This record gives sequence, C-alpha cells and structure tokens, in this order.
Amino acid sequence: MTTPTPDAAVHVRDLRKSYTVHEKEPGFLGSLRSFVRRQSREVEAVRGVSFDLAPGEVVGFLGPNGAGKTTTLKMLSGLLHPSGGELRVAGFEPRRREADFLRRITLVMGQKQQLIWDLPALDSFLVNQAIYEIPDPQYRATMHEFTEVLGLEGILKKQVRKLSLGERMKCELAAALLHRPRVLFLDEPTIGLDVNMQEAVRAFIRDYNERYGATVILTSHYMADVTALARRILVIDQGQLVFDGDLARLVERGGGGKTVRLQLRRPVTAEALAGYGSDVKVDGLSAELTVPRAEVSPRAARLLADLDVADLTVEDPPIEAVMAELFGRKDREVVRG
Amino acid sequence: MTALWRKVRVLFSTRFAEMVEYRAEVVIWMLSGTLSLVMMLVWMGQAASAPDGRINGYTPAEFASYFLGVWVTGQLLVVWVAWELDMEVRQGTLSPKLLRPLDPMWEHYAAHVAERVVRLPAMLGLVALFAWLAGASFSTDPLNYLAAFGLAMLGFSARFLWEYCLGLLAFWTESSSSFGEVVWLVYAALGGMFAPLAFYPQWVQNIAVWTPFPYMLGLPAQLLAGKASLADAGRGALVLGAWLIVFWFVRLAVWRLGLRKYGAVGA
Repeated sequence: MTTPTPDAAVHVRDLRKSYTVHEKEPGFLGSLRSFVRRQSREVEAVRGVSFDLAPGEVVGFLGPNGAGKTTTLKMLSGLLHPSGGELRVAGFEPRRREADFLRRITLVMGQKQQLIWDLPALDSFLVNQAIYEIPDPQYRATMHEFTEVLGLEGILKKQVRKLSLGERMKCELAAALLHRPRVLFLDEPTIGLDVNMQEAVRAFIRDYNERYGATVILTSHYMADVTALARRILVIDQGQLVFDGDLARLVERGGGGKTVRLQLRRPVTAEALAGYGSDVKVDGLSAELTVPRAEVSPRAARLLADLDVADLTVEDPPIEAVMAELFGRKDREVVRG
Repeated sequence: MTALWRKVRVLFSTRFAEMVEYRAEVVIWMLSGTLSLVMMLVWMGQAASAPDGRINGYTPAEFASYFLGVWVTGQLLVVWVAWELDMEVRQGTLSPKLLRPLDPMWEHYAAHVAERVVRLPAMLGLVALFAWLAGASFSTDPLNYLAAFGLAMLGFSARFLWEYCLGLLAFWTESSSSFGEVVWLVYAALGGMFAPLAFYPQWVQNIAVWTPFPYMLGLPAQLLAGKASLADAGRGALVLGAWLIVFWFVRLAVWRLGLRKYGAVGA
C-alpha cells in the first residue's frame, strides 16, 4: 500500500474500474438472440490512474467523451466501488460512505438535481440543513452569503419547477455547498447555462475556494471554466492519465505551435503566406497562421521584413485546439463531460 | 431540538408539503384501490341470497363491516416505494441521495407517512358514506381502534420494507416490478382482501398464519368490525414484529450488496 502524501486532500493510486456491459443487436431477431444468449463484455473505464491533490487546490479534469472522467469522480465521491487501487479523500475511504466523509464532500452534477421539484428551493435547503446537522447560525450565515454571491434573492420561494435553468443551477450549487464541504467534485457545473450565468457560477466557485480553502476537481465542457478556475490540469484518455501539470505546460505539450496574427497595410493572399506557417486564414487586411514554437522568432522577423505589416502578435493557441491536438481529433469537439 | 427530531420534523413537513401538491392525484389513486369494496358487494349479495341470510356466520352487514375495515386498513398500507426505487436506480437519480449522510430510505418513509395524512380526510368521508349505504357497523371499543391502527402501522412498515427490497432488485434485474405483482397477489389473498381468511381451506389458513399478511390487513379489519379480540391483536403484533425484524435485516443486506453493484447510471 502506498503512503498518501502528507495532508493530501485527495490521494489516488493505480485506480481502476471495470464493469460488464450487455450488448444486443437491434430489432426482433436481436432481441430473440439476446433472450437465448445474452452477450456481454468487460469494459475497463479507468486503468491505473494516480494523482494527489493538496488542500485548497483547484484542478481541471479534462478528457474526451468516455475517457473515464465521470467514472473517476463517481469513485472519488463514493458512488462507485473501485475495481482496484487506492483511494483516500479527506482522509476517508470513499466507498465506505461514512457520514463524516459525506459531510466533507459534495458532487455537483450539471444534469442531475437534488432539489425537490414541486417545492421552493428553500424547502430543499431546510432538508439539507437537517440532514447535515448544520447549526442555525451557520445555516443563516451561509444562506446570507450564498444569496448575495449567487443572487438568489427572489427565487428561493419559487417552486423549483418554475425556475429557469440558470436559476435552478444556482440553487443546486447552493444546496450542494450548504454544509460547507472541503472537497468539491464538479461535473459540468455550467452545462447549458448562458455566458453570464457561466461567469456567475465560476465567480461563485472561485469565491468559495478562496473563502473556505476547499479542494476542487472540475470537469467541464467549457474551456473557459477550466482556464478561469484551474491552474493544474489532469487529462485522462481511454481510462489513463495522459497529462498532469499546469496549463502552460499543457499548451506546450499540445505542440502544434503558436498563433501569429497580422494586421497588414496591403492585402495578401493565403498562398503568399503559406510559406510562413500552416492553417493560414486571411480576412481582408487581417491574417492568422500557425508557426512551430521553435520557429516563432525567425518567422516573425521574416514576415516583418517581407510584408507591409502594421501589427504582429504571437499567442498561444486556444486550449480547445491544444486538446484537439493532444487527442488527434481535430474534426470534432474534443472536451466533453 | 435534537438533530434526530429536527430530521424527522423537517422530512415529514417537507414531504407533506410535496404530497399536498398532489392531493387530487392522491384521492384519485385512493378511489382506484376499490377491489375490497367490489368484494364487499359480491359477498353481501351472496349472503343476502343464502337460505339463512348468512355465509360462514357473516350477515350482509357483517361483510360490509369487514370489507370496509379491509379497505380502510388497505389505504394505510399503500406503498409505492418499489416503483420509485426501481426508477432511481435505473436513471441514476439515486446518486444525489447517496451523497448525503442519511439513508435514502428515510425520505421515502417520510413521504409515505405524509401521504397517509393527506389521504385521511377523503378516506374517512368515503368510509362513512359506504358504511351508511351498506349498513355496516363497527366496534364501539376505542381499544379495538387503537389496536387496529397499531397493527396497520406495523403492517405498513413491514410492507414498506419488503417493497423496498423488491425495488432494490433493480440493481440486478430489469423485472423487479413483476416480482412486486406476484407478492401483491399473495398479500391480497392471504391478507383477506378477497374473503376473510376463515373462508379458505384449512391448509391455506395453516400456511397463512406464519406469514405477516393476515395480521396486517384481515386482523385490523376484524378488530374494526368487532370480530377479533385484543388478545388476537397482541399475537398478531408479535408475528408482525418478528417479520419486521426479518425484513429490516434483509433490506440492510440487499442494500449493501446492491450498492456494490450500483452503476450510478448517467450521474
């Protein structure tokens, strides 16, 4: 057994999860075959994942669909029993689901809800207050704080089913954090929300992390969530951790190169720029191309010398492009929950 | 206020508020559970046409009293937790409940108890109407009512636990609801919903006395009709209590095994 890093909020070693899935061909014949002989196969969803998180750390957990992100979060929160490996969260073994463990964690699932559908959100908060045994003064203080930060005023007494998606998500977050958990597992917390609401949720998570020193693991469809909140990124693909480091290193690892943007005084064709880099885009007097990281300086110098350039900027590529590069799947959206 | 009392109070009041939202559905659902009232009419008709105006010692009015007692008790024993659990396991909505430091069973239990309170006024109104129409008469001993209520509560808790176990079968099988229908048939038959237990062959009665069913449905009805004694109620309570303990431990075992199997679908 590996010794957990002292004071690690989350300790994961060689975590594994496999399960059996049943398969059936479509149609009547498929049903008949399945009735006589059910086909099943073993799926390895998580294959030897290891990492440690320090208290207060905010980590983005990325990977394509079916990579094993949600399965890992489910194991970390005690919903799934691992098939192998070691797991400690806040000093507890999650699968035992001890009450003290459950009081220290929360799992927010963007598409699942814990609020009582037919009653105002306030009723669900009162249920959580009772279940988590939150003292009245703490409950009042937390509610006051959440109402201000999330702008809950005016929606707490409306039936949950009559709230907009954004309003409901804010109430879900409040319900999930009412007991002031120390470890937050956030699975797509902003999914389906408009840009303003996404920003509000991000601000709330940032504020909560700073105020309570909570450890946060975040998966998100939206890269803006990850870049705004997390310095450290874990990337999982096909059940294995393929990257663990900070955002800048991830961008480097993604390779590909840097994006050079040009503002020209005289128009040029895309063909004319092809010799300086790849992925050339020209729009009137603006142009954009990708240049290998090691070649940035000489190519920029050549561009300035050869063309009538009014302005030139060099940027890291968007994180979406880095992820696409990393997974070699440029033809589709890469990071999903 | 202790933490436990706060939990009980908040869970009950919240679920009561939720059930009030569905009050019309609760009453309609209650009206749909009228099998024992149909049986009442069948047996009343048979007794009225019998040569001495009675069958196995039951006059039409006594059949009315018995079956109305069965209907009232049956209303207190209504349980739908298997259906809810089945859905929660399949759709993964069990997950948020598993993340809280409270066994999800208690929220379901609170919802069932709260529903009973919402059901009560309409139920009493209906039973008074049917009693007047059918000429039924009930026991005048308040202790009989207390004993019948106690047995119904024990019976409800026992039924809740076995239905909970059936719902948990969704961890393993896709046909937990069909198990439920088989169990309901045995419950209704041996509980006395079709006829008083004394009307069955002796060998069926011999088997039935070892099951919880006659004590949770037929016996409270007999107490209300004034056809059973408090001693019968005491014996029934002992048997029901023993079954309750069995179901409690079976539920715990199935729950623990099921959680290992849980796939937390879509969560």
